[in-house]
Amino acid sequence: MRTLPLADPGIPVHRTPAAYLRWVARKQGGAIAAAMGFGVLWMLAQALMPAAIGKAIDEGLGHRDATALLDWSAVLLGLGAVQAAAGVMRHRLAVSNWLTAAYRTVQVVTRHSARLGATLPKRVATGEVVTVGGTDIAQIGNTVEIAGRLAGSVVSFVTVAVILLATSVPLGLLVLIGVPVLVLAIGPVLRPLHHRQRAQRELAGDLTTYANDIVHGLRVLRGVGGEDVFATRYAERSQRVRAAGYRVAGVESTLDAAQILLPGIFVVLVTWLGARFALDGTISAGQLVAFYGYAAFLVTPLSTGTEAADKITRGLVAARRVVHILGITPELADPADPVPVPGGPCEVELADPDSGVRVAGGSLTVLVVSGRLSGADLADRLGRYVDGPVLFRGVPLARLPLAEVRRRILVSDTGSRLFAGTLRTELDPSGELPDERIHAALAAASGTDILVGMPDGLDTAVEERGRSVSGGQQQRLVLARALLADPDVLVLVEPTSAVDAHTEARIAANLGTARAGRTTVVVTASPLLAAHADTVLFVRDGHVAGAGAHTDLLADPAYRGVVLRGDDDGDQPAPPDRPVPAAAGAGDGPNRAEAAE
Amino acid sequence: MTVQLPVANAAQVRRYARTLFRRHPRALAAALALHAFAAIAGLAAPRLLGELVQAVQDGTTRLTVDKVAVAIAVFVLAQSVLTRYARLVSFRLGERVLAELREEFVRRVLALPLSTVERAGTGDLLTRTSRDVDALARTVRFAVPETLIALVTTVLTLGALALVGPLVALPCLVAVPILWASTRWYLRRAPAGYLRENAAYSDVNEGLAETVEGARTVEALRLLRQRVRRTDGDIGRSFAAERYTLWLRSVWFPTAEISYVIPTVATLLVGGLLYTHHLASLGQVTAATLYVQQLIDPVDRLLSWLDELQVGGASLARLLGVSSDEPERPAKPLPGNGNGRELVATGVRYSYVDGRDVVRGIDLAVRPGERLAMVGPSGAGKSTLGRLLAGIHPPRAGSVTVGGVPLASLPLAERRRRVALVTQEHHVFVGTVADNVALPRPDATEAEIRAALRAVDALGWVDALPAGLSTVVGSGGETLTPAQAQQLALARLVLADPHTLVLDEATSLIDPRAARHLERSLGAVLAGRTVIAIAHRLHTAHDADRVAVVADGRITELGPHTDLVAADGDYAALWSSWHGKP
Repeated sequence: MRTLPLADPGIPVHRTPAAYLRWVARKQGGAIAAAMGFGVLWMLAQALMPAAIGKAIDEGLGHRDATALLDWSAVLLGLGAVQAAAGVMRHRLAVSNWLTAAYRTVQVVTRHSARLGATLPKRVATGEVVTVGGTDIAQIGNTVEIAGRLAGSVVSFVTVAVILLATSVPLGLLVLIGVPVLVLAIGPVLRPLHHRQRAQRELAGDLTTYANDIVHGLRVLRGVGGEDVFATRYAERSQRVRAAGYRVAGVESTLDAAQILLPGIFVVLVTWLGARFALDGTISAGQLVAFYGYAAFLVTPLSTGTEAADKITRGLVAARRVVHILGITPELADPADPVPVPGGPCEVELADPDSGVRVAGGSLTVLVVSGRLSGADLADRLGRYVDGPVLFRGVPLARLPLAEVRRRILVSDTGSRLFAGTLRTELDPSGELPDERIHAALAAASGTDILVGMPDGLDTAVEERGRSVSGGQQQRLVLARALLADPDVLVLVEPTSAVDAHTEARIAANLGTARAGRTTVVVTASPLLAAHADTVLFVRDGHVAGAGAHTDLLADPAYRGVVLRGDDDGDQPAPPDRPVPAAAGAGDGPNRAEAAE
Repeated sequence: MTVQLPVANAAQVRRYARTLFRRHPRALAAALALHAFAAIAGLAAPRLLGELVQAVQDGTTRLTVDKVAVAIAVFVLAQSVLTRYARLVSFRLGERVLAELREEFVRRVLALPLSTVERAGTGDLLTRTSRDVDALARTVRFAVPETLIALVTTVLTLGALALVGPLVALPCLVAVPILWASTRWYLRRAPAGYLRENAAYSDVNEGLAETVEGARTVEALRLLRQRVRRTDGDIGRSFAAERYTLWLRSVWFPTAEISYVIPTVATLLVGGLLYTHHLASLGQVTAATLYVQQLIDPVDRLLSWLDELQVGGASLARLLGVSSDEPERPAKPLPGNGNGRELVATGVRYSYVDGRDVVRGIDLAVRPGERLAMVGPSGAGKSTLGRLLAGIHPPRAGSVTVGGVPLASLPLAERRRRVALVTQEHHVFVGTVADNVALPRPDATEAEIRAALRAVDALGWVDALPAGLSTVVGSGGETLTPAQAQQLALARLVLADPHTLVLDEATSLIDPRAARHLERSLGAVLAGRTVIAIAHRLHTAHDADRVAVVADGRITELGPHTDLVAADGDYAALWSSWHGKP
């Protein structure tokens, strides 16, 4: 059995969904062929069992021949052993094939997603990629897996057909035509069933979402009330799921009945005709019993056929999403003729001609941004997440290899994520730094207290998306991680928005020392951070409107408003399609926020 | 500080499962009877077929053959009709039981004491509401009826076999010990194996989701290699888990399959022997062989659903573990009228872990209508003190009283009318804007809701929504900004109208640009109430009547802003650095 994960998942073909599925299948062709082989053996053993039983009855029992009975019983036992052995081999190969196809897809999608980086969320909804992990890989696995069973079904169907026709042409034809008709006859019942099942699944999904919503808001609910309303509403929705379940039960029970009635009547027909032939002496009593067995057996390979058609269709739909993601190319291209990075910190490390922002090498510069250009947008420009005329040590960023830009300039914005793992790998993804460095960075980010609450210190596991630590703690961990990355230029966007003033003051005091000799840009409106800067640049509506020390800039009422009150004299950023809240409402009610000294 | 919620024990689960089905005795009896009749009808065909073979062997007329064929057809028809109704009744019973189960569970969740919710966190509870409810649904919908039917069919088939002839029926029992032992072996290991498999599989998904959601961070920190390693590691663990269960099946499946063939062979051999000694007829042996063949399917189904039943049982135990047994504090008769508004803490101590007090002896009297700001470094105990003052946790030592009445002794509804804790957790419930606001008073009129929204300056954008107050918001509906969500929470408070508010802004992640507008809304809510604000930004402290500096579980400084600045302590230092004055 192949060991997973694959060391190299390969370079996927992503022209079309079918091409992708073919590529996946080709990569594991040998294992699929083996699964097919065992599938055939397994099915054949099953197919031959009715014949062995028939022979045992005819030759052993019918003629009271003990030797023949023993022989045929031994054959039957042998078939059982072959079936069991081939069955388990087939199953093992099927599972292995399923897993290989599913994991290979996860591997190629992960590699491609990580390579796409910031481009990915812009080009595709994250939910779509998550669906790949959630359901699509299973569908692709199913498609590959069914191949093995399909082969077994086809071969055993043909084998049984030959045996039947050789025994009795009319009976053989009856079975060979009748069974497919039966399988197809079930089809019309399946469609409404699937339809109603889907309806119920959707309602049940909504119900789960609703319950999760209650749990997420439970603190609010238990705090202010409203539990009865939610309990009642949940019960209403739950009853809707029940009603949908009743509708499913209606069709499903009919289907169950049909699955007994149709083959049952068919078996009666076969038996009745068979008995008449046996009476005429055309076939033997044992062959009659065998026919009964064949008619029942053939239903399996035929339903495998319909199942395969369904699974391949779903596999193609799943592969379409995968192919779409694999087809995305990074937004920012590497320059055709890259320029080497000038060495050493420069007098002007970073310059944005559009806004007039100039950052001195080795300095701690605070950008207080207000108005039409947001701080986040400015930071994106400085770190080349969008193209612009920004110069790094005099060279346009667009002329440097992108990997080099990322290595030299780190933008840590408010959307920065934590990943699951130990605290140590969280802070130092390279895994190369000594503990002292990590502790020092944590101390600089005022995050030593986070460690106190962790049972295993740096080796404590942090949950997915940093769920197990609070917002303020997450922010300090992100900051510590950025400090440890130790880039030439560190651009921090509102690094302390979620921490209290005491902690913010400590961080502000530490930042300069932690980044000594390196260039640091902090986009913030915090006076505590600004007070510790070498230079503060006040960027208003996209242009530098003031530069100097924080204390000097405080003379500017506009600057003062932004840093001390969080005022923003620019356009209030309204979400798309939503009007700006009526600012005129300031008139009513006491407004303590305006009580400036 | 998360503590896992309890899990019910096996006896509790069994007792609950019994009461659940006892609530529907008629439906249960009907389902069982119908399934039994359907199984009996299904057993007639092999018997008749056996007779047919015998008749053909002995030489018979076409008429007899026709008659037997018609008889088989009639039984098949009866079996399918009976199955239809048996299934219908049991499916519906399952749906009904399931609905009762989940509704009861949600009622239990909604009755959990706030202190439990705060301590357990949402993760565990979320797993129970989604994964366990789903797992149980699968069990009740499929596993329970399938095992029930398989059991009934197996028992009846064995009965029919015995009726054919006790001697020809006995050989099939040779498989019982093998099946028993191998299944027991498998079931002891399977549930844990499959749970691990599922957990490892969702880790693979989670890892991919993290990579995708954090794609920009991956690029910024050049984490490509680490992400690939994480996914490959997850796959490795998932594969190991899969391989373990595959190994279990590799042992159990072939053993079971062989166990199915052995009875057939044994019946044929022993039957043949009996037949040669004229102890059984050819028809008996044929019918017995067919019955034994027919046993394979129900036995196989019975066995293969057993592990699913175990998984469902485990989920049920976790659902029942969320219990509201812990009473929401007794409602004692109140000494005095209890309508005073003064909030007093005396010698208050609190610890999450024994021996480690987070709040270490705090005395504090908050005057009605006063604004008190609490500042201090993270981890100093501000938030815990806030929760004690809001009556969410009863203090370990000392007391918190409102109007002279211990807060913790007040019934929940009473407490809510007096003190509310406001966190900046901006959760928007799935529902209309009106639903979201009317939580504390479901009977509130539209005019009252509009007034509350107007008070927090939110009516403007609410009216501009596609359907105004009736616009569906929350996950799947219109998306609101964090600031808008916060305004809804504030409007809720206006409607709830408690005289004292504890504001905890420690987890605020609101865009500073939106904060100014929000403060205006907040001003409207605070007017005329006692306010204890766990302040995040110093201007909140500046605007308060008094400031309390909390450090290391104690109040180190307390007084009006100007006094504290004059006192030249910690607070003064912080204030001057905030203001850029040396």
